[in-house]
Amino acid sequence: MKADEASLARLMALAQGGDRLAYATLLTECQRWLRTYYARRVAPSQLDDLVQETLLSLHRKLATWDQTRAFLPWLAAIARYRWVDHLRGLYRSKEGELPEDVAGIDEEPAITARISLERLFAQLPLAQARAIELVKIEGLSVADASRACGQSESLVKVNIHRGLKKLTAMIEKA
Amino acid sequence: MPPVADTNQTDTLIADLVAGLAPVRPMRFAHGMGLSVAGLAAALAAAALLIGLRDDVLAGSPDPLFLLSNGLFLLLGIAASAAVVMMSRPSVGRDHSGWAWAAAMAALLPATAVIFALGGQTGSLTSQAALHGLDCLLLGGAFGLLTFAALVAWLRRGAPTSLERAGLVTGIASGSFGIFAYSLHCDFSDIVHIGIWHGGAVMLSAAVGRFAVPKMVRW
Repeated sequence: MKADEASLARLMALAQGGDRLAYATLLTECQRWLRTYYARRVAPSQLDDLVQETLLSLHRKLATWDQTRAFLPWLAAIARYRWVDHLRGLYRSKEGELPEDVAGIDEEPAITARISLERLFAQLPLAQARAIELVKIEGLSVADASRACGQSESLVKVNIHRGLKKLTAMIEKA
Repeated sequence: MPPVADTNQTDTLIADLVAGLAPVRPMRFAHGMGLSVAGLAAALAAAALLIGLRDDVLAGSPDPLFLLSNGLFLLLGIAASAAVVMMSRPSVGRDHSGWAWAAAMAALLPATAVIFALGGQTGSLTSQAALHGLDCLLLGGAFGLLTFAALVAWLRRGAPTSLERAGLVTGIASGSFGIFAYSLHCDFSDIVHIGIWHGGAVMLSAAVGRFAVPKMVRW
């Protein structure tokens, strides 16, 4: 089955009514969708954890989806919230390279572009985005990030703090 | 290609979640608004029963300034409550900022109050008037507590993505409803008193919401 908006919305409506078969299919599709959604903005070693945390949030907040509205923007809002929360709590990671190319999420490019993490990240000033990228996603220490981007260590910290605050405020807007 | 997953743990998690599935009742806008308005109704009943209504309201000929200012607080409470209820159901691409326009309109009251106060065109700056104003500030906030509790409970069920904003708007909603209810008792019909003390009750409640609510609704 393709993870298209209409199918996911149908499955979700059934899941809200207690249909376990539909729910199992929905979660499996959401898992795939989330892996692709997060792929370029999360270190590979943390991807599983973040996908699982997001599935748990989806489960706990099932009642917050409104059947008269689209499903993917709802899932994306939850995914973005978990992602920003993940960045906030992240300790330094030793993870290396992130994949260069990521396949398209589904066959609805307009929706995909509208709800992507890239679009959210693009709202940040360059210096804040760079500081978050180096420290919170690529796992550099503040000192290493400072050398890599030419910002002082304290400025890196300030930019991370301000950037995360801005990301939180923009989760549904951007 | 998307990254290859170590799916064993995730599959186990999915199996657990499916096993634990129970039917849920989707959160409805009308239900959330109903809770908030119920908080307002309880505050109105408490004001009428515990402290009594002002004479011109009882006589059926309320002061125009009272009507205007209280109308603004009521609209602000409704707009802010609606925003909080919508914030509990997240979706990328939605804008919950309508309450800000109502807040801007209500902010004309304290702005006008400051202008009049600076010009000395008021009798509301005596120490006795300030004591009464302090009552309005604190009791206005207190009368909003039921709305505050209702909206926080709603947010805890929901999934607000900006906790600070949700807290701020919850405080504005409950403060506006609270001062609306208390104003039915307060017999001052002076723009300086209303702008500073009644407007202050909303601002105080907003500040409390901004700092207290995020801890209560984090998910």
